[in-house]
Amino acid sequence: MQWPPRVRSVASIAGLVVLAPLLGGCSALYPPNAATDQGADIRNLYTVFLVPMVAIFLLVEGLILWSVIRYRRRKGDEELPVQTHGNNLLEVTWTVLPTLLVLALFFVSWQTLNKVDAESKPELTVDVTGFQWQWTFAYPQYGLSYTGIGDQGPVLVLPVDEVVHVRLHSHDVIHSFYVPDFLFKRDVIPGQVNNFDLTLKDAGVTYSGQCAQLCGMDHYQMRFTVRTMTPADFQAWVQAEQTKTRATPTPPPGGSVAGPTLQLSASNTTNFDQSSLTASAGQPFTVVLTNKTAGAPHNFAIRDSSGKVRFTGLPLAQPGQTVSYAVPALPAGTYTFFCSVHPNMQGTLTVK
Amino acid sequence: MATTVLAPGATRIYQRSALYEWLTTTDHKKIGILYLTNSFLFFLLAGLLALVIRSELAVPGLQFVNSSTYNQLFTMHGTTMIFLVLMPFLAGLGNYAVPLQIGAADMAFPRINALSFWMLPLGGILMFSGFFFGGAAAEGWTSYSPLAQAKYSGSGTDLWIVALLLIGTSSILGSINFLATIFKLRAPGMTLLRMPIFVWTVMVTSLLILLATPVFTSGVFMLYIDRNFGGAFFDPASGGNPILWQNLFWFFGHPEVYILILPAMGVISEVVPVFSRKPIFGYKAFIFATLLIGGLGFSVWAHHMFTTGAVYLPFFSLMTSLIGVPTGIKFFNWIATMWRGKITFATPMLFALGFLTTFLVGGLDGAILASPPVDYALHDTYWIVAHIHFVFFGGTMFGVFAAAYYWFPKMFGARLDEGLGKVHFVLMLIGTWLTFFPMHLLGLEGMPRRIADYSPAAGWTDLNTIATIGSFVIAISVLPFMWNVFVTLRGPRDAGDDPWDAYTLEWATTSPPPPYNFDHLPPIRSERPLFDLKYGHGARRALPAASLATADEGAH
Amino acid sequence: MAAQVQALPAPAHGEQRGIDTALVGMLLFIASEIMFFAGLFGAYFNIRAEHTVWPPQGFELDLGLAAVLTVILVSSSFTMQYAVSRIRKGDRTGMVRAMTVTVILGVVFLLGQAYDYATLGFGISSGVYGTLFFTMTGFHGAHVLGGVIGMSIVLLRGLSGQFSARHHTAVEAVSLYWHFVDVVWIGLFSTLYLLR
Repeated sequence: MQWPPRVRSVASIAGLVVLAPLLGGCSALYPPNAATDQGADIRNLYTVFLVPMVAIFLLVEGLILWSVIRYRRRKGDEELPVQTHGNNLLEVTWTVLPTLLVLALFFVSWQTLNKVDAESKPELTVDVTGFQWQWTFAYPQYGLSYTGIGDQGPVLVLPVDEVVHVRLHSHDVIHSFYVPDFLFKRDVIPGQVNNFDLTLKDAGVTYSGQCAQLCGMDHYQMRFTVRTMTPADFQAWVQAEQTKTRATPTPPPGGSVAGPTLQLSASNTTNFDQSSLTASAGQPFTVVLTNKTAGAPHNFAIRDSSGKVRFTGLPLAQPGQTVSYAVPALPAGTYTFFCSVHPNMQGTLTVK
Repeated sequence: MATTVLAPGATRIYQRSALYEWLTTTDHKKIGILYLTNSFLFFLLAGLLALVIRSELAVPGLQFVNSSTYNQLFTMHGTTMIFLVLMPFLAGLGNYAVPLQIGAADMAFPRINALSFWMLPLGGILMFSGFFFGGAAAEGWTSYSPLAQAKYSGSGTDLWIVALLLIGTSSILGSINFLATIFKLRAPGMTLLRMPIFVWTVMVTSLLILLATPVFTSGVFMLYIDRNFGGAFFDPASGGNPILWQNLFWFFGHPEVYILILPAMGVISEVVPVFSRKPIFGYKAFIFATLLIGGLGFSVWAHHMFTTGAVYLPFFSLMTSLIGVPTGIKFFNWIATMWRGKITFATPMLFALGFLTTFLVGGLDGAILASPPVDYALHDTYWIVAHIHFVFFGGTMFGVFAAAYYWFPKMFGARLDEGLGKVHFVLMLIGTWLTFFPMHLLGLEGMPRRIADYSPAAGWTDLNTIATIGSFVIAISVLPFMWNVFVTLRGPRDAGDDPWDAYTLEWATTSPPPPYNFDHLPPIRSERPLFDLKYGHGARRALPAASLATADEGAH
Repeated sequence: MAAQVQALPAPAHGEQRGIDTALVGMLLFIASEIMFFAGLFGAYFNIRAEHTVWPPQGFELDLGLAAVLTVILVSSSFTMQYAVSRIRKGDRTGMVRAMTVTVILGVVFLLGQAYDYATLGFGISSGVYGTLFFTMTGFHGAHVLGGVIGMSIVLLRGLSGQFSARHHTAVEAVSLYWHFVDVVWIGLFSTLYLLR
């Protein structure tokens, strides 16, 4: 079938317009290659949306540019142009066509949504807890738990090719679990457990993630890393970690590790039982924390007057536990001690 | 001339000091100018905050402020720009133009009008005073709970709440005033379907404010009760629900987006026809689209909450997709208005073209976000920051500047300098794209919003540096505008009544208009009464008659 | 040309067609108030939907007192409407009498609510139910107080003879507001006391 030349040129222009974003020069307009099966679906869907949007962009900008150049008023031209008030056919066309387009896009997007949000029988369940301003990654079926320290946060080790079920918990404010390479985030909301499934594709890769929902002062430092392994390596890693955990002796209850000992206890999640502590400057000391709160872990951490965290005590003291934290020597000054899990629990640490 | 002759004493000006006059005025034109001036001052303030934010982000590392101050900066920048700059800018334009455009002598409730205005600087000062009382609000302009609860935030948040109660009340009273004015004070012949598009957009906007803002007010009261009286609305530990705040906030917050864009669209719909020398293409379709946006605007709020796992995604996704259609209709109408017109490029038209070319991006990158799975990737990243700024800066601010250049001769009787205006436009357009376009790419690369710092290893440095340079270009672009206003106000007031050969009633009176607005009105037989007067009603082609080019025969 | 020029439009404060501008303003204001209470009711139902036991244990309301107060407030709407109908007929004395009764009923309602607050076994900070109860009834009470103040002003103006059959916009406006306050209470009573 022979198309008339005019139609062909229109079609080829339209084709160019549609293909343009797919060309190499526009690759910056794409998110990273997805690390998960779900992310790959999202990336495909992004393309489905991006192409018509870029086409509309070029069409509309082109029409504006054309009107501005073609219909500029020439010098000395005083005559009024034809006073067109409208055109029903045109107006119906540019109402109906966009409606059809957005409906089509909506249905495609709905399909993908069902795939991305689908939950199947997981091979591994991970509990992610976000708190100001750290993460805890726990593997309930293996009895392993990791809470991050420092501005790089904890590492979440995950197997590839297996369905991983992630449960999100918060005890304070809203956070958001976000890994750019997953093309995915989900809010971590107190009083509500959010879930999602993910299936990773490539082993031996690390992905960085961070909190995406403003959660207070150190929100920008609430980072973490995801490391992938083959299922076999992952099982080996789990066994090694379990062995290590068993080998680690439980902290001596109240025993002095270094320097003088300070007693601290917590009976609720609002404040410590002691509101102030005093230590000697330039000398390490030990803080013995007794957690008398039912249902919430605590720890002992120190930040200086500028808000910088100087010490984070780990492991967390689980309910009913007593844990000793060896604190390195601090210069003289006034510090704030707090609980990393409940940063609103604060007291004054005077070092002199 | 059948001009009404006024009593000799009627035009004598009662002598008062200018300051007293401005502080106590109930004249809608003066109040409009007060709104615009106040908004511009807060615009400079919020712009300075933005420059600190951008400087901090230019390269990795905390160079200028700590993270706690940074959170205050973007919170105050966002809140100020939305509640003390864009909303009052548009309210000011509406105040100035709406009574003139419908041929009324003033607003329906002039004293309430003055009250609405004076609540704004008071609210602004309260909000900013937080910086001197242990830190301003720092939870973002969305102020999500529990972060905004007393446990996690300081007294700046209480000041933020009180300020927003004041500003919210101000805009509710303002919207009542606009609606009563438009319903009751239209000149004879000014039927609803002959009102200028700008008046239509102000009317729909006022309806949105009237119905959306009180819900926000109730939410803000609940937050205040939670913080100060041991309430538990948003506290899950005592049986409350943090998602409730998000629902209340966005039930207002999304109509708010249309509150901030519709009047700017109205301005564009005034400017584009005048400078294309054609009527608006599809007047009724335009109104239909405006109403549709207003109506759908109430059914899309949860698209800000796609990642919470607490809303029904398909419904809000569908509604959000559909709301793109009326905006598309408007774009095609504007282009068809220019089509086969005779376009001149005075500064108002340049800003209108800037609006069209830039706001378009904000519409399209938003349409992509209507898809929940894509939103999973892009939500709370710099893509959102890019989107909101293409809409509000590339859209609303360009519309505001188009209006400023367009109505300035009416307000002060003198036209702003075209040369300086073009410098302002070119710099602002370049600055806008340079600042905000790279943010799309940062969002795609995964840079979350509201972070004080990022790692050098993240690979976000180059784009951030570009955005920072762009923000300074925007800042510089405002200088020729300020200089322009300064020199023009010192120069001769020789603009004439109708410098743009425009269509609507405000150009049928003197520049500036007398306190009572009109000595006489042309007959109103279409949405372009002044065009009908100059070129004949229903003219399709006509030569301008020199004797009809101005309508100031009756002016004194 | 001269023939096309019309006289000045009607000034803002003169005689107008249709409904009075001030009443339009009051109706719009009531619309915004409805949305304000819609926010509170929305919060109530949102939080209620999250709880299996509602109201939570230990929250007892005084249904009898509330029922009496409801009767009082609803009757005051009738006396208010009677005041409006009197002034429409130009009967100033009748209006003043009916308005006085309405103000008294409003005050009695407020006193009853104060008694209720003082005798309830919980407060605004005793969990989310207390917060909801006191916030919703409290904001309604504040509106009743506003209505009582508004009616008192209208009453004083009525006593000084400022209203007539033709000029009584303030009476109409305050009656619209009072009916609105009444309707909100019926909504509150049904939600908090009857539906539980």
